[in-house]
Amino acid sequence: MATNTIALGPLHESVVREMANIGLGHATTALAGMTGKAFGMSIPDAQAVSLEELPLQLGGDELLTVGIYMPIDGDTGGHIAFITPWSSAQCLWRMFIGYAPDAAEDVDELQASTMMEVGNIITGSFLSAISDMTGLQMHATPPQLMVDMCLTVIEGVVMCASIADHTALSLRTSISDEGNQIEGYFLFIPTVEGLSAVFASLGLAEAA
Amino acid sequence: MVVATTILVGMAETKTAKGPATFACLGLGSCIGIAILDPIAKVAGMVHVMLPEAFADRPIEKPGKFADTGVPHLISELEKLGAMKSRMKIAISGGAQVFKFGDGTASRMDIGNRNSTAVLAQLKSLGLHVVAQDIGGHNGRTMTFDSSTGEIRVKTVAQGEAQLCILR
Repeated sequence: MATNTIALGPLHESVVREMANIGLGHATTALAGMTGKAFGMSIPDAQAVSLEELPLQLGGDELLTVGIYMPIDGDTGGHIAFITPWSSAQCLWRMFIGYAPDAAEDVDELQASTMMEVGNIITGSFLSAISDMTGLQMHATPPQLMVDMCLTVIEGVVMCASIADHTALSLRTSISDEGNQIEGYFLFIPTVEGLSAVFASLGLAEAA
Repeated sequence: MVVATTILVGMAETKTAKGPATFACLGLGSCIGIAILDPIAKVAGMVHVMLPEAFADRPIEKPGKFADTGVPHLISELEKLGAMKSRMKIAISGGAQVFKFGDGTASRMDIGNRNSTAVLAQLKSLGLHVVAQDIGGHNGRTMTFDSSTGEIRVKTVAQGEAQLCILR
């Protein structure tokens, strides 16, 4: 169903990765401030993927997954999501509040809002990095949380992404503290016009 | 259980088969899986609709995407294989509100509920009767349909897997 594919050249990929690195630098600082702990964050790879390929990368169609979704508002529209397998989400909860729910149905308001706040910080930092580089105003609107099968979570994002823009810039993201290592996927789904605006403002022509 | 020979019905897809077949819609959130069986002609199929109605101002690339085009599309595909509307048995599942936490546009749009309403209205207008339905709530569902037995099963993360009904 990849109708509007966004082809990324090597230059564009390195631009996106650079924006993400700057964003995650900000996010690491913010998360450390929130918890008083030191975190490492890295982006092992950045690539354009069709949303249908994502369950494979995450580990399976029906794998229990946590997804934080936020629409982007401002000069250029789009969607942003952070998707992480349940085991990694449990690690995140332990890092931030010291304990984690055992099962999906045990997630309470505090745990949900913690997860949304983490998502807020990560994505907010990423967006401000893009804004700083491009001069385009972009801000995330309030987050929403899903805890469900991987395909259901992705469907939730696809539904919100107005079904037209199926290609996401997928940034595999790794977060770690002394004892834990968390893997997740950070998805940036710009509208096609939005992505062109980002690249145009950087003086780059449409991706080849 | 989703076996290797299962016909997967992805978002906006319509799949049909004459003779024994197993279909599955994986991870239905606000989307709806519609399973139809004509037990006499042994013709079966599923459609995985995403939205209540087609956009008036855009071409319809995949009729299976919308309730108002997907339901008639599945029925006509089944009729091509020899099924008759009067013998069709139907089960539906999905239409959940998957955003459990947070108040945003997605929750307010309540697509799941609108999808359920649209699918039921569409089936009713075509004079078709729904044998069983498992719709709404807050959980994603995997719906499987074995046309040889007519068995429909629904699986969720919270409740595991259970039989919804037998179409016959």
